[in-house]
Amino acid sequence: MNCAELQDHYELYALGLAEEPERSEIRAHLDRGCEVCMVEIKRAREMAALLGGSAAPAAPSPRLRRRILASAGAGERSFGWAAFLAGSTALALCAAFYYAGRERQYFDEARVLREQTRNQIIEIARLNEAFAILNSADTTVTSFGENQPKPKGRIFLNPSRGLLLIASNLPQAPSGKAYELWFITKGGKAVRAGMFQSESDGTAVHVERGAMDMKNTAAVAVTMEVEAGVDAPTSTPMIVAPLAAATQ
Amino acid sequence: MLLLPILLAIRAAEGDADLVARLQRREPQALGDLYDRYGRLAYSLILRVVRDTGIAEDLVQETFLRVWNRVQAFDAQKGAIGPWLLAVARNRAIDYLRSAGGRERNAVEFEETDHPALYIDMEQGILASDKARRVKRAVEKLSAQQRQVIELAYFEGLSQTEMAERMGQPLGTVKTWVRTALKNLRDDLGAAAVSA
Repeated sequence: MNCAELQDHYELYALGLAEEPERSEIRAHLDRGCEVCMVEIKRAREMAALLGGSAAPAAPSPRLRRRILASAGAGERSFGWAAFLAGSTALALCAAFYYAGRERQYFDEARVLREQTRNQIIEIARLNEAFAILNSADTTVTSFGENQPKPKGRIFLNPSRGLLLIASNLPQAPSGKAYELWFITKGGKAVRAGMFQSESDGTAVHVERGAMDMKNTAAVAVTMEVEAGVDAPTSTPMIVAPLAAATQ
Repeated sequence: MLLLPILLAIRAAEGDADLVARLQRREPQALGDLYDRYGRLAYSLILRVVRDTGIAEDLVQETFLRVWNRVQAFDAQKGAIGPWLLAVARNRAIDYLRSAGGRERNAVEFEETDHPALYIDMEQGILASDKARRVKRAVEKLSAQQRQVIELAYFEGLSQTEMAERMGQPLGTVKTWVRTALKNLRDDLGAAAVSA
């Protein structure tokens, strides 16, 4: 067959409707590069393609795209398990370091708070002791250092509760040094009665608990000694308060 | 409304040559771009044929895999991958219908779409061209019988004998309707439809 005889069969061929012998004839023309048939088949295929575009529009599910890419081995990049595990491990380590640091911080803060609380309890107990001495009916008081710039203050004495010293103008004790309180017996012997430090403003409040032998005590004295304390005074007392002057 | 799938390809067709070159370099993103351009169009066509969304998606997947695996035979400079892809999509769908209905495959037709080199001269951007709108109008102008036979041929892949059986009409009558419909379409498109 020549091309003219095939003229009415190109669209049929493109649509798959061509019958024999026309179908084989067209194929043979195409196989040998017949320019007329190539042009006509091209036109017929265009029309067929355009017919395909006339289908009612519809949208596939969004996952179809991923399915196609995955089945072609062209899946879009995503986090694999290895990356996920590595990231998770790194995150866990960061969290562990962070929370370990936070735990240490909380532990230190708790330790400081416990120390502060303990000191406050001690201070409250000391103040309670001081108030108890001050409020007792049998407490006597004696003053020292009046009308002079050197340390001055008062000493409250209670036979059963102990001693309360309130002083001011105390010089700052050098490093390694502290004030030591002495009971001076009527026989002139110095008996240790506790250590204390002054505040930065030169004041001091010291409570020495316990029963006192008021009858055999002649005076109360304070010297500057090493922090550990000494068995006998090693310096001239900066405070001397005779009990004979004590009054209720 | 019916032209929407074609209009979706208007901008896409302009870059087909570059897209084909990227597909041939096996760039993974190129397959995604191909799907973005023609996935909905292919799905609409296949769904029109098989009328089942699940099957249609499976066949769309087959279509794109076939193109992906055979794109090396395409001429990246001359190729119009859209019409080829649609031809593959149509044949996948009709092949399914024929298999489901126990009908024979059209060997010549399938052999052609398996060889994309036969499409290298097809005009690029054909799906986006004014021809698409003209074909649509030309189809609408056909008589009911003529339109039916064209749709049975294109969307169901029926032979003329099968159409005659389906419509309960003499084979000669069906052949007349088919030839008249195709002539009317060709005449409506005119000589201008033939690309130089």
